[in-house]
Amino acid sequence: MSGAGHMLRRQFVMEWKLYSRDRAAMFWTFFFPVLMLLAFGVIFRSGSGPALTLVVVTAPDGGSVDSGLEAALEHGPLKLLKLSAADAEARWRKGETAAQLDFPSGAPRLRMNSYLAAQGGAAVQIVQQVHLIAEAKSRGIEPSLIPIVMESPGHTRSTNYAAFLLPGLLGLNLLTMGLFSVGMVTVSYREKGKFRRLAVTPLPKLAFLGGQVLHRLTIVVIQSTLLLLVGWLFFGIVNQGSYASFAVVVFLGTACFMAIGFALSSFAQTTEAYAAISNLCFFPMMLLSGVYFTLDSAPRWLQTAVVALPLSPYVKTLRAVFNDGAGLGEHRLGLLLVALWTMAAFSFAVKRFRWS
Amino acid sequence: MAELALRVRSLRKRYPKVLAVDDVDLDVWRGEVFGLLGPNGAGKTTTLEIVEGLTPADGGEVQVLGLDFRQHGREIRSRFGVQLQSTSLYNKITPREALDLYGSYYPKRRPTSELLDLIQLADKADAYHVTLSGGQQQRLAIGLALVNDPELVFLDEPTTGLDPQARRSLWEVVRRMKAEGRTVILTTHYMEEAEALCDRLAIMDHGRILTVGTPLGLIQELKIPSVVELAFDGAAPEAAAFARRLGQPVEVRGGLWEIPSQDPKTLLPQLLDAAEAESVPFQQIHMRRATLEDVFLHRTGRSLRE
Repeated sequence: MSGAGHMLRRQFVMEWKLYSRDRAAMFWTFFFPVLMLLAFGVIFRSGSGPALTLVVVTAPDGGSVDSGLEAALEHGPLKLLKLSAADAEARWRKGETAAQLDFPSGAPRLRMNSYLAAQGGAAVQIVQQVHLIAEAKSRGIEPSLIPIVMESPGHTRSTNYAAFLLPGLLGLNLLTMGLFSVGMVTVSYREKGKFRRLAVTPLPKLAFLGGQVLHRLTIVVIQSTLLLLVGWLFFGIVNQGSYASFAVVVFLGTACFMAIGFALSSFAQTTEAYAAISNLCFFPMMLLSGVYFTLDSAPRWLQTAVVALPLSPYVKTLRAVFNDGAGLGEHRLGLLLVALWTMAAFSFAVKRFRWS
Repeated sequence: MAELALRVRSLRKRYPKVLAVDDVDLDVWRGEVFGLLGPNGAGKTTTLEIVEGLTPADGGEVQVLGLDFRQHGREIRSRFGVQLQSTSLYNKITPREALDLYGSYYPKRRPTSELLDLIQLADKADAYHVTLSGGQQQRLAIGLALVNDPELVFLDEPTTGLDPQARRSLWEVVRRMKAEGRTVILTTHYMEEAEALCDRLAIMDHGRILTVGTPLGLIQELKIPSVVELAFDGAAPEAAAFARRLGQPVEVRGGLWEIPSQDPKTLLPQLLDAAEAESVPFQQIHMRRATLEDVFLHRTGRSLRE
């Protein structure tokens, strides 16, 4: 028995030794998630997206046509870009302008670019609002705005985007590790005959696979620790739940996505074929599982469909535990789904697994 | 010598499109170097893979070192050593690390430094695998097959793709194995390799064993001690008229006519007369003793390296 334990340790140490010689892979594994967190966390720090731009056409002398409206807009959230009629027209023709305020016959007019409808629409609404308030004031009415209260329901302390993003990135890491690091490596070992060479030695298969799994597990632990550390240092994000629950969820995810990687690897004979298969699984999950944004505005059927993929319930559960301090019991359904995926993928992988 | 290292009876393996191994019987004695000779696709590798426990057979019996894989897989694996046709190691593992790692899989192991000397890689012991030449990688693969001090060693086309010098240095390693008392079973499609290394060999084609014997015995069985070759500039012409006049079969192969003969001394003048009469435009004439290549040709009607 100590023989198998010794082999397992040997295998594990060797995996790390060889892995540490692949500097590029190591760098990207450990620092890519951290870079993503830093980049997106900083870009969306204020909570709102980047400022909207409104092109305002000036009078021929360079002054404003409607100084009252313009002054009111200056105080608003829009970034004003004042251009002469000719410059504004040139920019409009190039299709770079989302919304433009001009005065073709003296009276104000809003032009909106249907191609950039999201930004244009928001800018236009703000101009309308400012205009209506100015109009009301000019008729002697002092309009009152409905007060806005900023709250973060269900979230006790973690309210910024970085806090939303961090559990998503953790989940995404696990998916990447399972699909690419485990699945791809399995296919390439099989393709290149490494498994066959091992199969003619008395090394128990479990010692070899165990060494691999342990190696990936330690990578996950290091990755998660790094992410948590950066989140805490740069954005003040801390785990709101118990670390025990957090660890349970992370380990469940590791098991789930590793099993999926092993299962997928049985569909491909070559690394090229596997690359296609894994991308087919990776991109829908990455884009549709609420890693970077919630899918609240997506069509109903899509939201329902996505829940069936393991990453979506997983990220939701991880986020609830990490950001809201939820207990595991509150997310039984999500955990159950992930556990079901794990068991299905695992039994499938065991059944289909081939050394050659 | 009385004991069998390998005993195979009625072995069969069918792949969807081909009957890879067709009723194969083999006996390999302890301490001998045994060769499986045959062209690509003859079933040598499949036979070896079954015997190594990598591929399940469809039928038949296999005993390795007197043991059966179904009951004694672990024990067989710890007592034999295998070099597969394509062993890829990690790119950035060194020969020393690889030998240490594979050695750790076995209860009994040879010291790494001794193995490094044996496969002549002591000066490359700490170089990454990717930086080794083809011959060095192949020697490492063979070193890995010896980490457990095996009683039986399988070598699958150990010298394919190597230059003549690297091939000869590998032959040396195989001869050392025999000197150390190991049984070696190797496949090859080089007849000169089979002649140089093997005590006995089996010639295989289309999944069947055609004949088994010592290299010399197989050649003598042909009863044609010599072959006379006529070489031409470019392709050899039609030989039918010449063969009729000579009263002997003539094989046309590449740029050569080959005339097997039991008595070259009397053949030669007749042959020159016939060549004169038919005005055969040959450039050179060679006489050589028969080889395993001729044995194969005789048994199958085809050349080994087609």
